[in-house]
Formats: sequence, structure tokens, C-alpha cells
Amino acid sequence: MLNYTLRRLMFTIPTLLLISFIIFIILDMAPNDPTGNLPLTIPPEVREKIRASLGLDSPMYIRYLLWCQQFFINEPLNLFNQWFGWCVGDCEGRLRVTSWATRSPVVDLIAERMPQTLWVVGMSYVVGILIAVPIGVISAYKQYSWFDQIGTLISMIGFSVPTFFTGVLLIVIFSVWMPNDSVFWLPSIYDTTLKVVDWSSFVQQMRQMAMPVMVLALFNAAQISRYMRASMLDNLSQDYVRTARAKGLKEKSVLLVHVLRNSMIPVVTVIALGIPQVFGGAIITEQIFKVNGLGQLLIIGIQGADIPLVQTLTFLFAVLIVLFNLVADILYGFLDPRIRYE
Amino acid sequence: MKLTHIIAGTLGAALLSTTAMAQERGRDGNVNVIYWQAASILNPYLSGGTKDIDASSMVIEPLARYDENGNMVAVLATEIPTPDNGGVSEDLTSITWKLKEGVTWADGSALTAEDVVFTANYCMDPDGGCQQLSKFGGVESVEALDDLTVKITFDGPKPFPYGPFVGSTTPVIQAAQFANCTGEAAPTCTEQNFGPIGTGPFTVTEFRANDTISLAANENYREAGKPAFATLTFKGGGDAASAARSVLETGEFDYAWNLQIAPEILADMEAKGIGTVLSGFGPLVERIMINLTDPSADLGETRSTVANPHPFMSDMAVRQALSMAIDRPLLVEVGYGKAGKVTCNVLPSPAIYDSPNNAGCEVQDIAGANALLDEAGWELGSDGVRAKDGVRLSILYQTSTNAVRQDFQALIKQWWTEIGIETELKNIDAAVFFGGDQSSPDTFQKLFADLEMYANTFDGTDPEAYMGNWACSEIPSPDNAWLGGNMPRFCDPAYDALIVEMGGTADINERARLAIEMNDMLMQSYTIIPLVHRGNVSARANTLEGVKLNVWDSQLWNVADWSRAN
Amino acid sequence: MLDENKPRKKPLVQVKNLKMHFPIYRGILKRQVGAIKAVDGISFDIFEGETLGLVGESGCGKSTVGRCVLRLYEVTDGSIDINGTDIATLSGVELRAKRPEMQMIFQDPQASLNPRMTVGSIISEPLDEHMIMTRDEKRERVGELMDAVGLARRFADRYPHEFSGGQRQRIGIARALALNPKFIVCDEPIAALDVSIQAQVVNLLEDLQQKFGLTYLFISHDLSMVRHLATRVAVMYLGRLVELGDAETLYMTPRHPYTQALLSAVPHPDPAQAGNIERIILKGDVPSPANPPPGCTFSTRCPRAQAKCKQDSPKWREIGEGHFAACHFIE
Repeated sequence: MLNYTLRRLMFTIPTLLLISFIIFIILDMAPNDPTGNLPLTIPPEVREKIRASLGLDSPMYIRYLLWCQQFFINEPLNLFNQWFGWCVGDCEGRLRVTSWATRSPVVDLIAERMPQTLWVVGMSYVVGILIAVPIGVISAYKQYSWFDQIGTLISMIGFSVPTFFTGVLLIVIFSVWMPNDSVFWLPSIYDTTLKVVDWSSFVQQMRQMAMPVMVLALFNAAQISRYMRASMLDNLSQDYVRTARAKGLKEKSVLLVHVLRNSMIPVVTVIALGIPQVFGGAIITEQIFKVNGLGQLLIIGIQGADIPLVQTLTFLFAVLIVLFNLVADILYGFLDPRIRYE
Repeated sequence: MKLTHIIAGTLGAALLSTTAMAQERGRDGNVNVIYWQAASILNPYLSGGTKDIDASSMVIEPLARYDENGNMVAVLATEIPTPDNGGVSEDLTSITWKLKEGVTWADGSALTAEDVVFTANYCMDPDGGCQQLSKFGGVESVEALDDLTVKITFDGPKPFPYGPFVGSTTPVIQAAQFANCTGEAAPTCTEQNFGPIGTGPFTVTEFRANDTISLAANENYREAGKPAFATLTFKGGGDAASAARSVLETGEFDYAWNLQIAPEILADMEAKGIGTVLSGFGPLVERIMINLTDPSADLGETRSTVANPHPFMSDMAVRQALSMAIDRPLLVEVGYGKAGKVTCNVLPSPAIYDSPNNAGCEVQDIAGANALLDEAGWELGSDGVRAKDGVRLSILYQTSTNAVRQDFQALIKQWWTEIGIETELKNIDAAVFFGGDQSSPDTFQKLFADLEMYANTFDGTDPEAYMGNWACSEIPSPDNAWLGGNMPRFCDPAYDALIVEMGGTADINERARLAIEMNDMLMQSYTIIPLVHRGNVSARANTLEGVKLNVWDSQLWNVADWSRAN
Repeated sequence: MLDENKPRKKPLVQVKNLKMHFPIYRGILKRQVGAIKAVDGISFDIFEGETLGLVGESGCGKSTVGRCVLRLYEVTDGSIDINGTDIATLSGVELRAKRPEMQMIFQDPQASLNPRMTVGSIISEPLDEHMIMTRDEKRERVGELMDAVGLARRFADRYPHEFSGGQRQRIGIARALALNPKFIVCDEPIAALDVSIQAQVVNLLEDLQQKFGLTYLFISHDLSMVRHLATRVAVMYLGRLVELGDAETLYMTPRHPYTQALLSAVPHPDPAQAGNIERIILKGDVPSPANPPPGCTFSTRCPRAQAKCKQDSPKWREIGEGHFAACHFIE
């Protein structure tokens, strides 16, 4: 297993380099101009100067190599410097990957946004799983019962009703109709500057997370509960379940020990593969509640043709996707003894 | 007598209490502002975005700015330099600004002329990528005559020398802070660009790019007792509708910017009664351009050129009747609500340029229009369409594809039917209509129709270039590849003479007189039929006082005067 | 063979009028529109220590009978008396308490073992559930069972997929034996195995029967294997029993036309005699159990069928000593 993991990790390096290059080419070919969003009153020669100051006048391979140097060498060195205080080379004048729109290091922007994305999107993923697994289990166990029908209906709603609808609906109910002094009133706008230091700020954090988390959790739960149900149904009809019953086990242990554990194998994989999306943020939900996490950062970057920002973010997503694919494979190996990687 | 005493007494008490309150800076706690486009940087020289410029206007200030009526007001300067007060040289090639005495930066150091010079050099550095460089167009040198005097010299006469340091796009930045950030180093100064030290009412405490800015009252702000708020939160992100909701419905925010949403939705939100929708009007006008030349397809090469006058549009009675038949207040209500108002001028703002001479178009006058056409000899035929000498009043009316514009077309067609004018409607995809493709017959420049409708505006407060659109030389034709802004093909030597005169006039009141005269020529000949003056819409909480919506400058231009109602 | 078992003891299992109907749902509202009569009223006894073979074509309901007898299905009707208790009506808790007495060996040894459990835990799981034992005792018991079925003890920590088909079936048998059952239903236990392995497993089952005094219900479509193993044999067609009797009697003198047809298809062990047996080829397909033909269910394919067969259901009656059949034409 260890050998396998190491070998896979080794393979990811050329893969990721190739991905970074492809992303760079695509972004370079995109008909996007960082000066495109400027007012029409700015004359063409000024635009040309702005472009030159962003380094756009040098050939593409130079810009790519520069990005590689900044991202793969300078940024890690900078991290070392910040975490351990070690200084390798020129610590002050080192060129970091810099956003064109904000003129600040991209990695700092990402770090600034990580907390709210992980809090909101990550929490919604956890809540989604916690809702989905029991619903999936009960739906499958009592297939075609009223519980299953309602569960199917809810996941259909969660699946097909877009988050911009459920989000606004919740806002109208809990922020607009609900009187402001009610305990059920929830803020419609997420305060990213809130710091949790005591009980009351913790409560406030929970309240402002409630709506975005529920909206996203419904969506996630809808997906995962369907996987869970299908996988449970698959396993419920397996012979080993009959064996377990013939052994005289309690129905609870038949269900939870035998069926659930086996059914979780594909579901855990699906969950692991979904984790990179958590980091990707939830673009629409983040917009609605103004969570301003990584998803919103990416969208702003794309709109403003902020190529270093988009390049770095997409590349980090690529890294996460590749890594979590590996994690899913390894998890599969742990969970299912029939699978061995040699 | 007694009554006067009482009034005087109460007035005095009120004055006293306001002054007593005014002595305390930061008395009103926190104020929340939402811009649905988030600010990404606080240095307007590195960003042309309105959101960034508005946000930075709370921190760094220019020498002068525009008030809500488009008039210049001095900020860091003692007064606006003009030829009359000697601030602008006789030959119009230089302008000299005097700084206010005793203005300090937020860090306590004094503002000097050197800071202004530094700022100009910062922007004009060829390697800096300054996005406001066009404001410094024609600037030859900027020099400090003494600690409080700055002279800007241009490479030629500038009748309107108020480009640099007027308005929030070109504020003064602190030389000491940005000393190492010139040229190629400009973008690397993240700390400076995110937290400039300014002279404005607020200072940055935390800047989260594209998200939230936390600001606190500037303890060294030059006006005592201002700002009233101790802290200000500038939140970004989301969309216009949710920003409106947060002010008008949930009350979480106090001010929301640029709410381009359907008027009925906005009205519904406002009905909740906790906030107020504000509208401000720049120079954007929805108008009908009449084609004074013949667009008939039979004419081939000379179609819609001055070679052939229009068979009936050249009759002013027809043009006037078209204008009289329109119910402008209804158009405003249908299309724009609070974001629009009736205008009878193609140049409705800034206020000093708004002509008072064309009032009366607000009222629809179908009977008057009919009478006018009767008098001009256009007789109603059996088919309900007027004609004279075999020429029928049948017109083709084109515009871009847009829900509001198609509503307008349908309404106007109905009114024109009532005065015996037959109308055929046409709408063209905006990309084609405004696209300027030489090979397409449907561009707004070619105007292969009898009239067309669209909106236009100009940048800043100075209308010289805008009014210059209707010079004879601006008529689009095959000879100039259909370029030029004179869609009606209007040509009057008297008008061209006014343009030339304006180019040599520096006095603002004189320039206003000329602009009004040009506007009146266009209006009174019914060459252009203005329909709706379109504006910007923002919203404030009812508890927020002192807001004056400004379309000529940063919307947060007077944030120092904002306060909380009791 | 097994002559010592001949003197009949009391029946260990008594099945009376067993019915298992699976409902069919159709339409948007999932209304019940009918039922698949997988088992439609059968009765038989199994005596202590004997092996009752249950044979029939695939789809005739014999596996369903096996599962019903252990109440792995909720039966529609009838009683199943095992060792003096009617398990058809027992509640969940009582039924679980009864489980150790009756066990099952399944057809597919791969699918019937939980892939995520080691052999040791598969075998010991029933012990956790039903017995109070220390860990060492349990380990010892698992070892004994693995010895008994011929598996090396060191395999206890391996997973089922690491074994061959025959070994897996041994695991299944060890698991079934863990609780010292009296009665084991063997549901086609060798059908999925290679021929060379089949004999080993059948011999193992025989050995275990001798050693532990087990009673088997041996379900199979392999008639020669049943003849070798079974004391008595029951023949099933479309959810009903058509004939039941001593293995030797039934094989030598089958009385029901279906049994005759079935047995005529079995390759004779002595090729010299094989030519003497006339093969009876049945025409047509087995009718759907959702819509069985009226009267004798075999009437649609029976070479001797007459008008009467299509109306009256033949009675299940004793036609010789311990020999039962359901046919109008058997005297």
C-alpha cells in the first residue's frame, strides 16, 4: 500500500505540471483582457501601458516559467519563512504570485478566504452527510414506504431546485418576514470579519452560518442520500445479508454492521471525491449570502481577467482533485479487503 | 412679536444642540455600506473600477470634487482656480492650486504641495501602469511653488483644466508612504495599496480584498465633530437585488449602491418602510434621433446621406407633432420608475447646463399635434394616415432589442397612430445595432430608418465633447466609414460656430450659456426628441441622515456628513 | 446406504400447507394486482437424522421452500413446526432464540459471505450473538469448526475473496455449524462449484451429518447427487409437491409423470443400460407462477393429461408406504 501510494504520488508530479501548463495555455488563449473592465474613457495607449506593467508584453513561455518559479519555488520558501522563521535566499525582495486586480499575493488572498469557505461549505458538507446517511439507509430499508417517498421527493427538490432559489426563499422567510427581534431571525449577509472569541460571538457565527449551510446541505444531502440508498438496496439483496439473518443476528446489527458497512464503500469514495468541491467553494451560495469565499474569489478573478489569480486557484483545485482521487483509491483499499494495490 | 421670539428661541436651541452634538466625533457608532461589487484595492491609480474609487474616496481626497449638482467644490484646496481669480493663467496653459492650511494626514504629518507633486509623478511614471493616466493628459509639469501652492502646466491651452486632482479618481496620496512604490514597484506595495494613509474622514483598519473593508474615524480629520460614525463597514459581493433587500427589507445595512433592478420590485421593497430609494441623474438620456435625410433603399449609395433631404421629416411641423404626441411621464413610469424622469433636453445635467427654455413637453398634446399637422397641410386620408402631395406619413422606427425599448416602441406607435402617422417597428440586436460593423445595414450610425431610439451620455461633467457630436463634420456617411455621432445628420453653421466658441471659453458660466444655446437649437428644431432622463439608484436606511446621492463623483463623497437619526 | 436411519423416528420438521405468495405491484399508485405463487400449499415432514432431498426444475420454488422453512421469508400461510415449535408465527425475539437450532448453507459461497469480514469473524459472529464465551473460548471454537470442515486454522484472519470456491463453501458450512444446529437447509450448496470439488463438499456434508447427528433439507437440481445423498426425495413442480418417497423407491419406480420425465433425463451411471430407458421429452415451457394453470398445474405439459386434469386439482395422497403423489391417474 505504501509503495503504491508513493508511486501514485510520483506520477502526480508530471500530471500536475502538465495540468498547470494546460491551464496557462487556456487562460492565455481566452479572449480576456485585464483592461477590458476599465471605463471606455481610458484611451488605448494607456491600456497598452497597463498591460505592459502587468508583464503581458513578454512571450508566453517566459510568463509560464515565471509563474512556475514564483509558485513552486518562491511561495514555498515564503511559507517556510512565515512558519519557521527560516530565511532562504532573498526573503524581502522575492517575487510572489501577485493578483492583477488587488496587486497583492494570491496565496495571501486564498488564505484569507479559506476560513469562511471551510466553515460554511465544509460544514454544509458535514451536515449534508449527516442528514443523507440516515435518510438513505431508512429509504432503502423501507423501500417504497411513505418515508422513502418523502425522502425521494426531498432529494428531488434538493437536487433540482437551484440554490439561488432556496437561498432567496430562506432569506425572505428568515430575514424579511421574521421580525428582527425574533430569535428565529437570521442575518442574510455573512460577516467575514466576525471573530469567535466568546459565547455570544459563537452564537452569532452559528446564526449567520445557518442559512447558507442549510441551503448547501440540502443540495449535498440530496446527492449523497441517493447514492446511499442505491448502495444500500444493492447490498440488502445480497446473499450475505440473508446469511446474517440466518445467523440469528438482531435486525439492527444486520443493517448497521453488515449492510451499512458494505454500502458505505462506494459512498465514502463519492464523499472523498467531493471534498475538492468544498475548497472550490459554492459560487452561487457564496454570492447570495455574501460569504465571499474561494468561489467568489475565482468568479471575480475570471470576470476581471486576473490571470495569476485564476491560474493559481484553478491549479490548486487541480492539485486537490488529483490528491483526493488518490485518497479515494486508498480509502477504497482500506474499506474493501477485496481490493489490494501492489 | 411673541411668536417670532418663540421661533427664534427654538431655532437657537436647535442650533445649540446640534453644535453640542457636533463636537463629538464618532458619536453614532457603526454604519454599514454595501456595494454589490466588492472593492479590490484602495488605490484608484491602480484600478479604474467605480467600487474601488468610491471606497478609496472615504480615505484619500482630491483637491476638489463635484457635489451632487455637478458643481466643483474645493476639498484640500482653498478655492477652485479660475481665470477670474487668477488661478488659471490668461493663456489657459496652467492652473495653480492653493492648499488649505493645517490639513494633516491621518498619521499626523502635514499635507504639503510636495505630496501633490509626488502623486502626479506617481501616476505619470511610464512603468507604473497608472489607470488614471488620461486624467493627466496634456500635463507638461507639476511643480510645488511653495509648501501650499501647486502649479500644473499643460502643453497647450486647456479651457477645462480640471482633469488632475478633481474628483475621486485622482486623489492625493502621501509621498512618505508611497516613496518606494513608484514605477515598476507600484503593484508590489500591497500594504500601501490596501491601506493608504489619507486626509479623508476614515482610516482603514482592515482590508479584505474583494470582500470587506473595516474603517474607523480619522482622529486627525480637519473638521471637528466629523465623521459622526466611529466605524464604517464596507461590504462587497452579491447582486443588486440582495443589496437592495439588505437595506430596504432586512435593515442589516444602511446604504446600498447602484440598484439596477426592475422598478416595481424596488417599489415593493421600499414599501416596507425602513429605507428610502434615492435616485441621482447624470447626463444619460433616452432619446429619439430623427433622420433628416432620406433613408429610402432606392437611393443606393446616397441612402441616408445629406445628398437627399427627407421627404417629410424635413418639415419641422411633423417633427414637432411627433414630440407632442408622446406621454413622457407614462414612459418613465413604465420603464424606469424612480430611476428615470421626464426631460425636455438632450443635455439635462449637470444642473448648470440644464436649459429652462424647453418646458412643456411633459404634457402630452394629441389635439395640438393634430392641429399642427392640419395647419401644415398634412391631410388625413381614408386609411387614417396623413398625406400631402402624395407623400404619406409612414415611418420606420428602429431601436436595439431590449424589453423596455420594445415597450416604449409599442406605446409610441399607438400615440402616433392617433395623430395619423403610421409606424413600422423594428428592433435590432444590441451587438449589431451598436456594433459599428461596416457590412451591416442595421447599425445606429447608418440609420437606414426614419428615426431611431437609444440612450447616450458623456464622461465627467464637461459637455463640450458631447455637444460637439452634432457638428456638420460629425455626420456619418460612406466617406468617413459611417463614423461620427451626428445621427440626425443635423448641420447648422450657427451651431458649429458655438462649438468653436466653447473651445476657447474657460469661464464656467459662459460655457454653460453656450451649451444651453446648443441644446436649445437641437430641441427647438425637434431634431432630437428626448424621452427619459435615466439615473442611478441607490438606497439608504431611514435612520441614516446626510446622504446626498452624487452621480458626478464618488457616491460616498460626503460620508463625513453622514449621521444617525435619533 | 444410511440403513441405520431407516427405523423412522419422530419428525423433526413438520411443514403443513406452506404458502409463499409474493405480491405484484403495478401502476403509479403501486396497487397490488396479483401474486407470484412461488410456494402454493405444500406439506412434508423431515425425520430426525435423515436427509430430505428436494428436487425440481429451476424456478419451481424449491429454494423458496428452503428459505420459508427457516423463516427467512414471512410466509403467507401454513405452519412450520421445528422441534416442537411453530416458527411461522414466532415473534422476532423468540425467532432469534430459535435460530441456533436451524441453519442454512447457501448456493453462492462468494456472495453469501460478507466481503468485509475475516473468516474468523464470520464464523464467530453467531457465537457473539447467541453465546456467552470469552475471547479465547471463541477462538478455540472457531479453530475446532475450521478443523471440522478441513480448513487450516491460520486462515482465520483472511478474507473470503482469498479462498477458492470449495474453501469458501467450507467456510459457509463452518459458519452454519457454529451454534450446534440440529437442522440445516442446504440450498444448492454445490451448484456453484467445480465438479471435482462437488464430491468433496458432499462427502464433508455426509461426514458432518454422521458426526453431529444433523438433519438436512438438501435442495438441488442435481438428481444424481440427491440420489446419492438423500434418504427420501420430494419432487416439486410450479410451487407444489408432485411426489415424495424413499430415494430408492422413487428413483426405481417413479409414479408421477413429471417425476418420470425428470428422471428419464438423468444420465444413467451404467451406459450399457442407458439405451433401455426411453427419454420423455416435455413439451412447452413452465407456466408463470403468477398465473398457474387451473386444475393440475402440470396439465399443460403432461403427456397423459386429460380434460379432468384441467379442472380438478389432484389430491396429495399416500400411494405406497411412505410414498406420496398428486396425480389423478395413479392407483
